[in-house]
Amino acid sequence: MNWKRAAIAAFAAAPVIALFAWGFTRDPRDIPSPLPGRTAPPFSLEVFSSGEAPLALPVGDTVRLGSLRGRVVVLNFWASWCLACRDEHATVSAVARQYAGRPVQFVGVLYNDRVPPALDWIKEMGGQSYPSVNDPGARTAIDYGLYGVPETYFISGDGRVAYKNTGPATADVITRVVDSLIAALPAGARSTAGARSTAGGARGTP
Amino acid sequence: MNGLVARDALLLSLVIVVVGAAAVPLAGRVRQRAQVLDIAYGAVFANFALVSVATMAMVVALVSHDFSVSYVAQVGSRETPLFYTIISLWGALEGSILFWAWVLSLYAAIVVWRHRRRPGALVPYTAMALMVIALFFAILLIGPANPFQPVSPVPADGPGPNPLLQNHILMAVHPPLLYLGYVGMSVPFAFAVGAVCAGEVARDEWIRLARPWTLVSWGFLSAAIIAGMWWSYEVLGWGGYWAWDPVENASLLPWLTATAYLHSVMVQERRGMLRLWNLNLLVGTFVLTILGTFLTRSGILSSVHAFTTGTIGYYFLGFIAFVLVSSLVLVAGSSDQLRTAGRMESAASRETVFLLNNLFLTTFMFTVLVGTLYPLVAEAVRGVKVSVGEPFFNRMTLPMVVVLLFLMGVGPALPWGAASPHALRTKLLPPLAGAVVLGLFALGMGVGGPIGVLVFACVGYAAVATAREYGVAMAARHAAQHEAWPVALARVVRSNPRRYGGYLAHVGVFLVALGIAASATMRSEREATLKPGESMTLAGHTVRLREVWGRDEAQRSVIGVTLDVVQHGVAVGVIEPRMNFYPTSQEPVPTPDVRSSFSGDLYANLMAFDQNGAHATVRLIVQPLVPWIWAGGLIVVLGAVVGLTPARRRAAVASASPAPERVPVMATPSEGVV
Amino acid sequence: MSKRNWALLAGAVIVATFGWLLYGGLDRNVVFFLTPKELLAKGAGGVDVPVRLGGLVKPGSVQWNAQTLDLRFTVSDGTREVSVQEKGAPPQMFRDGMGVVVEGRYGRDGVFHATNLMVRHSNEYHPPKPGERPEEMYRTLIKGSAS
Repeated sequence: MNWKRAAIAAFAAAPVIALFAWGFTRDPRDIPSPLPGRTAPPFSLEVFSSGEAPLALPVGDTVRLGSLRGRVVVLNFWASWCLACRDEHATVSAVARQYAGRPVQFVGVLYNDRVPPALDWIKEMGGQSYPSVNDPGARTAIDYGLYGVPETYFISGDGRVAYKNTGPATADVITRVVDSLIAALPAGARSTAGARSTAGGARGTP
Repeated sequence: MNGLVARDALLLSLVIVVVGAAAVPLAGRVRQRAQVLDIAYGAVFANFALVSVATMAMVVALVSHDFSVSYVAQVGSRETPLFYTIISLWGALEGSILFWAWVLSLYAAIVVWRHRRRPGALVPYTAMALMVIALFFAILLIGPANPFQPVSPVPADGPGPNPLLQNHILMAVHPPLLYLGYVGMSVPFAFAVGAVCAGEVARDEWIRLARPWTLVSWGFLSAAIIAGMWWSYEVLGWGGYWAWDPVENASLLPWLTATAYLHSVMVQERRGMLRLWNLNLLVGTFVLTILGTFLTRSGILSSVHAFTTGTIGYYFLGFIAFVLVSSLVLVAGSSDQLRTAGRMESAASRETVFLLNNLFLTTFMFTVLVGTLYPLVAEAVRGVKVSVGEPFFNRMTLPMVVVLLFLMGVGPALPWGAASPHALRTKLLPPLAGAVVLGLFALGMGVGGPIGVLVFACVGYAAVATAREYGVAMAARHAAQHEAWPVALARVVRSNPRRYGGYLAHVGVFLVALGIAASATMRSEREATLKPGESMTLAGHTVRLREVWGRDEAQRSVIGVTLDVVQHGVAVGVIEPRMNFYPTSQEPVPTPDVRSSFSGDLYANLMAFDQNGAHATVRLIVQPLVPWIWAGGLIVVLGAVVGLTPARRRAAVASASPAPERVPVMATPSEGVV
Repeated sequence: MSKRNWALLAGAVIVATFGWLLYGGLDRNVVFFLTPKELLAKGAGGVDVPVRLGGLVKPGSVQWNAQTLDLRFTVSDGTREVSVQEKGAPPQMFRDGMGVVVEGRYGRDGVFHATNLMVRHSNEYHPPKPGERPEEMYRTLIKGSAS
């Protein structure tokens, strides 16, 4: 073996490897897009799973984004056939429980699924702390430009999409984003809105 | 349960592969060499058995809808037909890695079994290289791409495979062929590594051992590329078959270097030249297969075919860095030992043609590689998002294709060593007639653009030159032995399957080239909105809308239109393009319908429809000679198969028929056995 | 010069020529991804060169004539807009407010002439009107012909 030549050759590989390594910091599907910070598309969807006290909403109620103004909204799209949703379920459910009494509304949105298997799924997973709504025809999912499930949208108090998490959400991400959005709420909302959350503040006005 | 067995099997295979790979370098240092080698070889077979168990377990889990297995929960669905359930084994990332590992373990087992009795360190080190590659896939299967993760609680049903992948039967063919081709390229690479490690790289024997494996993989890869083009044509709905998409390019890159190798290795065998170059081509081919996998699996480049991403990209990055560095060290380190033994005698020789062929094939490869990676470079260096359009690839590569086609006519006509001026005249001039005939034919037919006409002319030239190679040899047999022509053909091919198999592959390439040149330049298309009873005409084809219909199938809903194909006022057939709606996909999957004939295709795609069936918008595409591409691909593969058949013993041929040896064409004795 | 050096020189010339051709080819044939704002900012440099334009379909701007197959709509990025014209049928799920990437050239007439239209799912877009649910687009047809 000619080790000197071999060493020179090995170094020649470095730029190529560096290029690939750099490539990983990029998402090729991500085209320049003006979307962050845009107004969240409105929706009004029916609750099919009430969630658990103190976060519960009655089944059959309609959740309207418009009536959640002044509060932070966390929209979590999921489906019973989705594997990664199982991974994040316990986390999201637990984190949501921590925010009971704070001006935050967690909403699960069922994507491309039917209600009976979804209810079975929730039972199977040992419950879901926050209410879930059905999205027939995936209309809301289309509005939000859902790429796949699970995906989680964080909507600020003034109704803008502040952050979008693709794939299973971690406790770290949720608390970081939600805390910063709560901090951005007007001072009054931060303290008073807490009382409304248990009273079903999401119940809609038209 | 099932999944548990498979997980254990994979874990065990990881351990065994490590032990086996470690045993090889040890064998040279201990007295119990034979026993230690038995361990290494045993590890190869055990690995094959274990990965087979895991793969079978996956098939069983898929078929029995065992949703406690993560991969099944991810791609399975009770509604999916059995056939698509089975082939979803390679429909998503984890399954395809498992399948890949299985193919690799199969190849390794065959290699070791065939050569287990060969003395020397070459085969052990080859086995070691294969096991190191297998180790990477074993790590993936245990770690980030584990398809057997337990799912708890067990879901009742799954979403089913990606709609695009369960929409056409070719999905059963294209991926396995591609894996067989891709993975097969690790075998010649492993031989190269083995030769270097065993200190046998300067002797050419390993080249002889590696060659059939290159040919096998090349045959699979050729078939896979053609099948992929066909799938794209039949499924994606735009009426094309090649879009210079990164994934398509990734399959073409190693094919180009492997093709170059199959030619240049003959120069090494005959003349002792190009040794370092050939080592480069083998190693390069393997690196390109891994690079291709990396580019498509890691999500680093966007493509319609890309798999979803995850941490697996980092593993691939590590592996490709390892492969790249070790390959370069390997080649550069042994470059001193690979001095050329022979030398060029004349510019007018087959060696020259092979050199040119290699020059153009590698330039072709570099062009495609640069075009594929450029978006990444542009974003890294200039911070702009770009894509490299088809015009770049077409403009840069098509002239090279024309030259390569021309060389396919020149090469077979020239002898090794040096050609006399007389021989040059008598062999290179007559095929010009073929070039003129096909060139004029192309002009008459309306093939557009100079490149298209040149492709026809060069194919004409090369086809006549190739036919002459067969013809002269057959005529000699016919005259000397009074053999019937078909018998003479069979005997000629059997006397030197490698050479005549190669020419057969050339014939396949001619058909592919004609098919592409004609269909790309003479494509006509038209889109129209029709009410039932209305008709549209395009390039002599008339279709009439009969009805817009819809129906529910088990796993999907289908909207389709029935169009009567009308000739002289009489309906001669129907063509039924559809849209398939899958529950897990927002977007319908276009399902075009194709009516093929010898002279070309009528292709219809449903673009839009009225909810009440009052009208539908249909795109018609007429492309001549498209079926020739698929037929040509089949012939290329046949050529590879012929090239793999063992040659009839030379002695027998020589004693039975001395006559052909005196014929000028046969002045070149056969290139040796496979 | 020795024979070896000649060979090296020849090799270098070939590689340099190839590199130059490649660079030239790339320079003329890359397609930029631009938003309407970026496209308009390019001025004359953005006219009549192949571009992929990404943005949202401006609500209310879609006009499609099924008979002439003339599709017109406006692509917006929230700040600037570009009118797009294409010959052909819109994708089945095409609608107001959705994210699209159109491939084509921006003409001197101030209209973007698209040759290819790709629908994007990863953007956020405005709500569809009632009755535009994907299933509603084909359910009637299935019931109508199911026997």
